[in-house]
Amino acid sequence: MRRLLAYMGRRLAAGFLTLFGAIALTFLVYWAIPTKPATYVYPDASSITPAQAAHANHLLGLDRPKVVQYVDYLSHLLRGDLGHQWSGTRLIENTQLSQRPVGDVLYPDLRITLSIILGGAVLVLLLAVPFGTFAGSRVGSWSDRTISLVALIGICTHPMVVGLILEGTFGHLRTFRIAGYCPLVPDRGSLCGGLADWSTHLILPWITFALLFLALYTRMIRLSVAETLHEDYVRTARAKGAGESRVLAFHVLPSASLRVLTMIGMEIGTAIGVAIYIEAAFGIRGLGRLSVVAMTGTNDALDLPLILAVVSIVTVIVVVGNLLVDLLYAVLDPRAGRETVRPRTKSLAGGVF
Amino acid sequence: MAAAIVSNLDDQFRDRMALSRTAGGPWRAAWTRLRQDRWSLVALAVLAAIVLAGLFGGAIVGRVVGHNGSDPFPYATNADLRPAGPWTHVPTTRAVLVDDYGRLLPPKQGQTTLFVLGADGPLGRDELIRLLDGARTSLEIGLGGVIFALLVALPIGTLAGYFGGVADAVVSRFTETVMAFPLLLFLIFATARVSPSLRGIAFGWVVPKGVFGEALLIGAFTSFYPTRLIRAHLRTLRNAEFVEASHMIGASNHRIMRRHLLPHVASTLLVWGAIAVGTNILLDVGLSFIGVGVPPAAPTWGSLLSTTWGTINAPHPYNGHYFTPWQTIFPTLAILITVISLNQLSEGVRRALEPWAQG
Repeated sequence: MRRLLAYMGRRLAAGFLTLFGAIALTFLVYWAIPTKPATYVYPDASSITPAQAAHANHLLGLDRPKVVQYVDYLSHLLRGDLGHQWSGTRLIENTQLSQRPVGDVLYPDLRITLSIILGGAVLVLLLAVPFGTFAGSRVGSWSDRTISLVALIGICTHPMVVGLILEGTFGHLRTFRIAGYCPLVPDRGSLCGGLADWSTHLILPWITFALLFLALYTRMIRLSVAETLHEDYVRTARAKGAGESRVLAFHVLPSASLRVLTMIGMEIGTAIGVAIYIEAAFGIRGLGRLSVVAMTGTNDALDLPLILAVVSIVTVIVVVGNLLVDLLYAVLDPRAGRETVRPRTKSLAGGVF
Repeated sequence: MAAAIVSNLDDQFRDRMALSRTAGGPWRAAWTRLRQDRWSLVALAVLAAIVLAGLFGGAIVGRVVGHNGSDPFPYATNADLRPAGPWTHVPTTRAVLVDDYGRLLPPKQGQTTLFVLGADGPLGRDELIRLLDGARTSLEIGLGGVIFALLVALPIGTLAGYFGGVADAVVSRFTETVMAFPLLLFLIFATARVSPSLRGIAFGWVVPKGVFGEALLIGAFTSFYPTRLIRAHLRTLRNAEFVEASHMIGASNHRIMRRHLLPHVASTLLVWGAIAVGTNILLDVGLSFIGVGVPPAAPTWGSLLSTTWGTINAPHPYNGHYFTPWQTIFPTLAILITVISLNQLSEGVRRALEPWAQG
């Protein structure tokens, strides 16, 4: 137990280092790009005078030393404060600014994207485990080939295309309500909410998400099962008289699940990338959409606090997700705490999205 | 005298090495094995056909039907701008006839030209020729991305895997961390910032404008994977007996890497490269949907799809009235066939190079 705690402590420290590193890198990239924060403070000015630019920088706190800005940002972040957006800034009596907190925009969007990813992930695992095990225990058969081919089709069809086709087809049939998003826990003033509304609005995004990742995970589980079936301990289990389903469920799948777990940890980032297309296809305003909007603006209109917040949130998700995976891994595989690093693999298609 | 004998032996040895290499080195043996793998040969033939189609197909079809992929034909769409379907004879006129109320009039009887796979969108260009031209652009992006990724990965991976130590620790921590992130987001950021300045680079029309920049960025952002492959491979080989033996007879690090280690890594990289070409093509599709892909003057399979479905900022919702399935089916089919062939070939190459490995 103490070993496990020490292991988790090391991973947690590594996670914090990653977070600070990612934010430092964003700051560096950002300072390398010439931006004009003064245009947010003086939106009506046709041209910004040097005095106005200096005044805007002072009000936004950009005239402080860069190290101070970085440490200040981190200390706010650790308290859950993501800073204030530049866009929508209003100058009050030329001495102070009224700004919108980034969190007001980001947290609702985050909730939406997490709903899509988590629900989709559950659907993927529910389907990929049986399919992958089935194909992996019959490598080379026609059913295995069919599953592999369908998996490749799933990888090659872009989620945006899948999403738009699903939306069109089912929108036409009026089976699912497709527009927008309904919160699981309704806010005051929201038109719909609750479990039923939430899931009927998200079922098509989940299916779109699942079609892509199902392909990846089915292939992964198939390979893993096919390899494990050759292990000595599987032969021993068979020799002791265990039936085929018992061998698969109790001897093969646990070992395959470790690799699946590793893959989940490595592909949290990929899932956020895929969410961009799914949100676009279904007209949902989530984190993916927000991050693309933040990152594709022209140089003059880049909103640094928004980009920093997106990078921070994504890093936190990736780090926390990996910590959970590490913890599960350590619980499932008793060797993990002893080894300094668990094997990290990523499906090749992870490079895709 | 002794030196002469050694030199003579050396010559003999070299001759025998040369002989053994022509008579059947590992590569030749692998090729012999690959030739017996029917499905891999089919995949190789399909890929060769796609490359040839990309290089010459557009020009040949253009010569046969008498127009090229960037010629717009107003009468290839109907009055609602719905593009014509496959196998349509389209009037060749570029002039649009409208009546006094601005309604489109049917064209005068005259010459028509054949659109084999229909038109590509509101501009009324030939889908087949754009698909064939897109094969070239997409493959250039796929291959270019792999080449740039290798240019980054070879030195860094070798540094980390062969020499180890601090360099290894830094490289493996860095790649491990970066790989967990949504690289797509960084790629979008970089493409939106850097691509406009790289767009002009076309090497005298060797590649269409924008392809070089996109391949460069895709390569840079996907180079983590081969870096880790090379590192892992070299770490296991570093202490192999044949490397130790080469050290003992005084071979330099450079020679060991070039003569003894590179051939081993090359097989792994070949397998990776075949798959990565496919994933790079899919990555280009994604960038087209975000609107930061190759400028539309040079069609890619991705931009063909995004002409139909819009970008993420302005998606074209499905509409039964305008639905044009061929515009989705043909590019998707082209990508699918390419990716399946590349997967099959990579599997075949892996089996041919390492027949002792499982599966």
